[in-house]
Amino acid sequence: MSTAAPAFPHRICPATGRVVAAAAEPLIKVNAVVAVVSLLIGAVAALLLVLTRWQAVHLLPAVWYYRILGVHGMNMLIFFIIYFEMAVLWFAGTILLNARPANPKLGWFSFGLMLAGTVLVEWAQWSGKADVLFTSYPPLQAHPLFYLGIILFAVGALTVTGLFFATLVIAKREQRYEGSVPLVVYGAVTAAIIAVITLLHGAIIYIPTFLWSIGLIKSIDPQIYRMIWWALGHSSQQINVAAMVAVWYMLSALTIGGVVLNEKVSRSAFVLYVLFISMASAHHLLVDPGFGPAWKIVNTSYFMYMAVLASMIHGFTVPAGMELGMRLRGYTDGLFGWLRRAPWGDPGFSALVFSVVVFGFVGGITGVTIGTEQINIIAHNTMRIPGHFHATVVSGTAMAFMGATYYLLPLVFQRKVAFWGLAKAQPYMFAIGMLLLSMGMTFAGSFGVPRRHWDISFSQALFDVQFNPAVDITLAVMGIGGILAVTGALSFIAIAVKSVFFGEKITTWETGKAIVGIPQGLTNPPVHVAHVDQLNDELHAESRGIAGATPGTLVLVAVFLLAFVVYYFTNWKLLSFLWKVG
Amino acid sequence: MTDSPSRDAPETPPLFQRLFDNMFLLLALGIVVMLVVYTGWGMWEILTMPAGTLP
Repeated sequence: MSTAAPAFPHRICPATGRVVAAAAEPLIKVNAVVAVVSLLIGAVAALLLVLTRWQAVHLLPAVWYYRILGVHGMNMLIFFIIYFEMAVLWFAGTILLNARPANPKLGWFSFGLMLAGTVLVEWAQWSGKADVLFTSYPPLQAHPLFYLGIILFAVGALTVTGLFFATLVIAKREQRYEGSVPLVVYGAVTAAIIAVITLLHGAIIYIPTFLWSIGLIKSIDPQIYRMIWWALGHSSQQINVAAMVAVWYMLSALTIGGVVLNEKVSRSAFVLYVLFISMASAHHLLVDPGFGPAWKIVNTSYFMYMAVLASMIHGFTVPAGMELGMRLRGYTDGLFGWLRRAPWGDPGFSALVFSVVVFGFVGGITGVTIGTEQINIIAHNTMRIPGHFHATVVSGTAMAFMGATYYLLPLVFQRKVAFWGLAKAQPYMFAIGMLLLSMGMTFAGSFGVPRRHWDISFSQALFDVQFNPAVDITLAVMGIGGILAVTGALSFIAIAVKSVFFGEKITTWETGKAIVGIPQGLTNPPVHVAHVDQLNDELHAESRGIAGATPGTLVLVAVFLLAFVVYYFTNWKLLSFLWKVG
Repeated sequence: MTDSPSRDAPETPPLFQRLFDNMFLLLALGIVVMLVVYTGWGMWEILTMPAGTLP
């Protein structure tokens, strides 16, 4: 890494010593701020939805339920996440490499495009001109400005992704780094590549759909639309996965001095994402009649499992790196001494742990199971699907992004974290709420409750559908969890807004003592013991046997695999009740 | 004692490291795999589906 003073305007971060390019900092900030605004809209929508799906409350009328469902989907799955990812790309491409951004003016123009697109989509959805849900399946048709808004947003995001690649090329040419980019940046590169794949498919499908909406094209084939659209709709969530894993590695290092166990293994897992994760989109088409079993199984099983393998690798290397990092700091007692002594009051750390655990145990296990072609038939279009992706996208990605924000506020915004007591509690509130919500949805779906349905009592229908009475309990669990999670999300927004706009300014701080409003990883940067090499050799001694240097993580991984096996085979058993053979 | 010339020469990274570091190669591979296995094959499946006949 170059230590020479850069020729571009910059400041030096007092905590990390990194070069912060003056042109990059405002781009990171505006993307993060708009991400939080989108989160606010999405969270309010979430509260309205959960109080409608909770059948005992059933708040919204039908029209507003479906309208708000579309608003929730766009704001949470597209705007919040992608604006934050744009911030991650600017951050990883510049600050982590001590580099300058490529063409910041074009960066601002791209942000303007994304913002204009966002405003158009919000206007179309809130005014009732785009009641087509997040998926906007033809023949449902929205106002042309809805599609134009999405296209503008996608073009802006694609341009930022191109600028990220250009920034890396410039950084290399100006020798801001040597050799390979750091692992966190490598994760951001992975996210950027998946973003290109995703946004290309978005362009392929939304441009003709826009032309159809203004009458230049006669019709859109619904089956082709579904296939191409899901390469946008699902793959956009795979950008999240790569960005989230990159944030895991970063938070692990920042909060407790986590190490990377093996660069080759972690980078190979990212490459598996690049090659195979996008085709998980086929999960949404497993009951579609237009595709044969070969296409479905190759896409969702044989090839997709390579991406699952990658997630399982990260699911081991991240906690194992955390364990080894803690042990190298001297916390060597027992299997889980490193966990007991971890900084659980640091919202960056607690958010990291909850993100890893809920993403893996709930989101990962349910996703692989319901993505199996045979099992999918008992899960498709039930509430098990949102139960799964709320555990991945929200409990996993959003939680990780929230944890990162608690560190970015002092580092990038140069503000103390406001409402510090609330900030320490927020990850717990959000994680527990989301866990209840996901579990409630998953179990309701297991009883056949459909997703995207305003009224499962079918109160005005000519026929009657009776669900198992247990559904009332699972929906109540979902409702209570949802209220708790939204409270956690709104708390996060209040903390972020207060910190950014009214927070106490800090440019430097004294290390070695706790300071209210600054995470402990910045006030007491984790350092390894003086005899770290000797300790590392002892931890890796052959006499430790299969447990190796990270025995605690090995136990946790065994518990994970056991849970996976039980859940997977339980689902095959459930399928056998429905689908008797012989 | 002086270092041998071979030790002075810059070390070439291993093949896989060079491949993994080439982000444009990864970008191309990612797009091609997706376009062939998912999009292209999927389009072929849809377009070769026999048209249904009305009763």
